[in-house]
Amino acid sequence: MNPSLKLALVVLIALEVSFTQVWTVNVVLIIVSLALMLLNHVTLKRFLWLTLVPLFFASALVWSLTLQGTASQHFLLVIFTRMFVYVYMGGLFTQTTDPLTLTRSLEQNAKLPSKFAYGFLAAFNLMPKIQAEVATIRAAALMRGQELHVWSPQLYFKVILAAMNWSDQLAAAMTSHGFVEGAPRTHAITVALRSRDWWVFALSLIAVQVGLFIGLP
Amino acid sequence: MATVTVHALTFSYPNRTRPVLDDLNVTFPSGKFSLLTGVSGGGKSTLLKLIAGLTPLPDAGTITFDGQPLSQISPADRAATVAMLFQEPSTQFTMDTVVNELRFALENQCVDPAAIPAKITAALDFIGIADLRDRQLMQLSGGEQQKVALAIIVAMDSDVILLDEPFASIDPPTRLALLEKLVMLCTQRGKTIILADHDLSNYDRWVDHLAVLDQGHVTLLSPAETQTRFAAFTPDKLRLTHVTLPTDDLTVSLQGTQLALGHEHRQLLRPQDLALFAHQATLITGPNGSGKSTLFRALVRLGNYQGQLTYDGQDIRKLPRKRYARQVSLMFQSASAQFLNVTVAEELALSQKFGNHTYFTPTRVQDLLTQLNLADHVDQIIYSLSSGQQKKLQLLCMLIMAPNVLLLDEPLKGLDFASIQVVMRILTTVQRDLNLTLIMISHQLSGLDDLITLHLALDHQQLTYQEATP
Repeated sequence: MNPSLKLALVVLIALEVSFTQVWTVNVVLIIVSLALMLLNHVTLKRFLWLTLVPLFFASALVWSLTLQGTASQHFLLVIFTRMFVYVYMGGLFTQTTDPLTLTRSLEQNAKLPSKFAYGFLAAFNLMPKIQAEVATIRAAALMRGQELHVWSPQLYFKVILAAMNWSDQLAAAMTSHGFVEGAPRTHAITVALRSRDWWVFALSLIAVQVGLFIGLP
Repeated sequence: MATVTVHALTFSYPNRTRPVLDDLNVTFPSGKFSLLTGVSGGGKSTLLKLIAGLTPLPDAGTITFDGQPLSQISPADRAATVAMLFQEPSTQFTMDTVVNELRFALENQCVDPAAIPAKITAALDFIGIADLRDRQLMQLSGGEQQKVALAIIVAMDSDVILLDEPFASIDPPTRLALLEKLVMLCTQRGKTIILADHDLSNYDRWVDHLAVLDQGHVTLLSPAETQTRFAAFTPDKLRLTHVTLPTDDLTVSLQGTQLALGHEHRQLLRPQDLALFAHQATLITGPNGSGKSTLFRALVRLGNYQGQLTYDGQDIRKLPRKRYARQVSLMFQSASAQFLNVTVAEELALSQKFGNHTYFTPTRVQDLLTQLNLADHVDQIIYSLSSGQQKKLQLLCMLIMAPNVLLLDEPLKGLDFASIQVVMRILTTVQRDLNLTLIMISHQLSGLDDLITLHLALDHQQLTYQEATP
């Protein structure tokens, strides 16, 4: 499916689910996301992460709401399943979408200014660099007798400093390879927006509406 | 073909009183290979960035290409006018793979999509790296990344090619290969090439003009003067008279067993047994990009290695991180990686709190600050210090920590002659007083003789101890 349309679909459904309380629709969405993830060969490890993390938070939420004693059984079920809908749909999207294709699609199909599209991609490509930087900062601190934890402000101060440096470097890199803000560009690879994509988009949305309509009390 | 003319260019950085470039006038002739030289920190990078349009010009008319300022050239044609190859290879890419970066550059030039694949193939073939086409950029070596960056410039067909110390982290064979390609671009395709380097060795065959940047002014030498200058240039010679081969009575501090570095695409160190000795000052030399810094990062557990590494007989992977970091520390090549605070005083206070405060008494620290010309800067913000001052502060902070083993990655980089003398004197005194183990990587070869007692050379992926050089 076209990445921009897929993103729009996921965001729209997530929004609708946030404002309605139909647990059956949530369950159907979970099952559909799961099936699609399985079809797309998501690894077991990734799948366990996507399950255990929301399980912890959803259980904690439900448990605390039960202790308060004001929430109905129905509401607890909605809250519990909603958490999984978000995570699984998000997981399905990230696991089946290549960031570069998404960037190209956002630029070509959604007409997002190329500055934002490539800015997003560059930030994505920085991830491994940020991880390495954090390891270096923590090692440098240990050598000085200081232990930095995830909550240490010094760690963030240093990472932000490094990120500011990278943003300058990245801007220079893009400029030196001919990128000019707002200037026209051609596209070596075009991302198709087919009528099939629109059909899937429309039918999925309609299916969710129907489900919500039937399920509403 | 394009002639680069710089006319009455004055440029100063904010918060600095003296301009880096002062009423500078120079013309880089079209289709020629010009070499720009001068002391480090003298403004070479600044000038190149201004020419490339990466730093905005104070007055647009001061730099012109065949009489036209860059701002008047349409955006799609700018990269075809001038392009730059950076000093740090990994910082010049936006995309993930080689082919995607090439596509990105050509798209920016509004090249017809149908013509893009052929241009990419031609550029990669010209540089001879067709096999790198689908590789991830971040997994390439520094030399390969520079080749890719040059291939992109070839694909963009830029008239003026600027190179800012492009060989600072790449090995000699790659340097030669790149130089040959540059000369071909110059002679066969009429490109104007301006390359900044402070090391003048092995340029005599290639370079038409030497441009010397000094005190904010550039003097362009004639071909004859250029050749005289090249002939007079002698690179620093390594002279180590106190060095011996390791003897049996030395204590082993760090021991590598079948130690190897690198990954599937690139081996840096073939499996070997390596002993590093306690209470000695060991110098490690080797070509650029051969894996010296990678060895240091492995020794402080910041990088991968194969085989086993032990410290005092214990596997370093099994030692608690916190304790090990206090025993074996690294002075990073980049000074800013070392600092954790904002001002000089805070940084020193941190070292004094956890370091060896019986030796480094406040009086001694004050005395060292004076020797290093830092005494007047204690209240200053670290990041507003010059790179040389940062380097000296970094060294002082790590010396105060006084770990059993201190690894020094290019501790003299960017220091002027006087500072090198002071730093080496301090290093030698502290090493002898505290009986420290120092292991040093340095491209700066003069002034090391008093300190160094062992010399390890990294060559052809093997580290071997060397005898004294006369």
